[in-house]
Amino acid sequence: MLFKDQLDFVTQHIKKNKLRVFMTILAATMGCAFLIVLASVGFGLQESLRNEILSNETVTKIQVYGDKQLTDEQVQEIKKLDHVETVLETISINASAHSFLGDRDTTSNLTLSDIQDFEQVNGKLAEGNYPSKPNEIVVGYHFAQTLLNEAERTIIAEKSKKAEADGTYYDGSEEGYKESMIGKNIDLSLVSNIGANDETEKMSYTIVGVMEKPSYDWMVDNAIHMDKAQKSVLAESLSKVSEIKEEEVFFSEFNIFADTLENVKPLLEKLKDNGYSVYSVTEQLDQMNVFFLVLKIGLIFVGTIAVLIASIGIFNTMTMAVTERTREIGVLKAIGASPKLIQRLFLMESTFIGIFGTLIAVVISYAVSFAANIALPLILKAATGEDAFATNDITFSLIPWQLVIIASAISVGVAMISGYRPARKATKIDVIQALRQEL
Amino acid sequence: MIQVENLQHTFLIGKRGKEKQVPVLKGVNFAVNKGEIVAIVGKSGSGKSTLLQVLAGFMKAEQGSIKVNGKETVHLTETESAAFRLRHFGFIFQNFQLMPGLTAFENIELPLKLQGLRKAIRNEKVKKLMDKVGLTEVADHYPNELSGGQQQRVSIARALITNPPVLLADEPTGSLDSETEQDILLLIQSLNRELGLTFVIITHDEEVATIAHRRFRMYDGELVKEEA
Repeated sequence: MLFKDQLDFVTQHIKKNKLRVFMTILAATMGCAFLIVLASVGFGLQESLRNEILSNETVTKIQVYGDKQLTDEQVQEIKKLDHVETVLETISINASAHSFLGDRDTTSNLTLSDIQDFEQVNGKLAEGNYPSKPNEIVVGYHFAQTLLNEAERTIIAEKSKKAEADGTYYDGSEEGYKESMIGKNIDLSLVSNIGANDETEKMSYTIVGVMEKPSYDWMVDNAIHMDKAQKSVLAESLSKVSEIKEEEVFFSEFNIFADTLENVKPLLEKLKDNGYSVYSVTEQLDQMNVFFLVLKIGLIFVGTIAVLIASIGIFNTMTMAVTERTREIGVLKAIGASPKLIQRLFLMESTFIGIFGTLIAVVISYAVSFAANIALPLILKAATGEDAFATNDITFSLIPWQLVIIASAISVGVAMISGYRPARKATKIDVIQALRQEL
Repeated sequence: MIQVENLQHTFLIGKRGKEKQVPVLKGVNFAVNKGEIVAIVGKSGSGKSTLLQVLAGFMKAEQGSIKVNGKETVHLTETESAAFRLRHFGFIFQNFQLMPGLTAFENIELPLKLQGLRKAIRNEKVKKLMDKVGLTEVADHYPNELSGGQQQRVSIARALITNPPVLLADEPTGSLDSETEQDILLLIQSLNRELGLTFVIITHDEEVATIAHRRFRMYDGELVKEEA
């Protein structure tokens, strides 16, 4: 029998029992949709946490930790490894940078790095360019905002007090220096964090670039970045006001950057094998993935129970179909239909129920998932009065294609299995008994 | 065409564990030649229906041999037996056994579908045959919209559509009035004459047996040849 004729045969029978088949498809749809939506919560939470971890970190970054600092030879050795994009040495200084612009001033962190490496890692700036001259610097996105005069400090203090009384918080974003920082000359002095807190002489620097906005709204970045060649200038300036040794003030942090996310793990293993103490955020992801894998398997298992319940309906429908059509099956067998063909026809019918139910379930699941991601934050906001749910982009439900494949396989598979016994029963029908049935 | 030798079969009747053995075929021997009509007559319970079922491969005989066109059929598996039926036998049943959800045309087309023929070829064959047996006008009618005689004609057309060498008929006129019965018998005779088809007719109706070239009588599981 041609496949098209087999399909015709099956659809003809389905049309004959529309209501019964519809109800069975409905049960299969509900089971499958429940499975997908339930598991989508696991996928959604994992995605939210993953984004949370990745948004704050450069994913290709491998941190070198421990007291031991890398020597220049080691840095060169690491740079030669496959998939290493660069090794960035960030020199932090155990002193605060006090910057002045007119009557405004601010205190911030100061870091020094090789500007070329720094540029390679940080990429695009919000404004301006990376330094090309010794006295040029790049500042954080909020540097201008934190440059305040006395009048503004008083206003911020008042606004903060008022906000506190209302139970909220004021971030000072309405005050600060409003013009572009590019090309501005600032005077910079250092205040050592150890020993005597004397301020060094002021040094003049030109701002040539402003960093991108930090990934989190609550982060305030007013750091100053300059080329590591300035280390000696700063050290000399500090030595005039305090007697602390240079190695106590400056300390280096090394970060290795892989070329792609996929290469982080092999590179990490290689560095560990070579005796370096290294860490990457991907390790945290690995642990999280294991946890979520178990959670998702659990959710899919629970969802599968719903599919199994729906399969009872399919089993009943197919058993009824076989019983009702006993005489027809008898005639088919008598005129030469093979048992395999009869089994296939009934299996096709239960498979059709499974496939159709799954298709509708997938569409419904996407709709439910979409609606949940929109409605749940609003409901939670209304219930708890917290803004966090509405603004933090939490994914409550996510349906990746893998979940659709898994759920479809389970749903269609279960439909086929539940149709198998009735189909076998159909092949076992005795021709003589069937033909004797009353019309 | 068909050679049956020493066919034996026993039914087990009664409760499990207390079954009684009832022999229904007690060493049946007969042969059917190509192009002849053979009638097997007998009372109810004589074993004639069992003989037809064994012949058609619906059930397996315990002992004996059936050769159709020289091929032994008693040892065929269920699947092989189905394929063999599709090629070698056409069936005419007492209750017509038409598919209620299919039109007359689709009922006749069914064996061709089982053979896997394409739609165009099927259409041509069915139309030709419907024309021959006088069913063109009712091609789109469903079985419940047809008279008994028309239903049996559809049933005969369905049996003929694959050009089988042998047609097995089980009480072909059992559900018909005497006038329609005559029509159907005439149709069988003309098909036999014009197309050289071989018929094996199982019946309890002596009238039906009159169209046969040869006649056997089944009596208590044994087959006896009678003069036609």
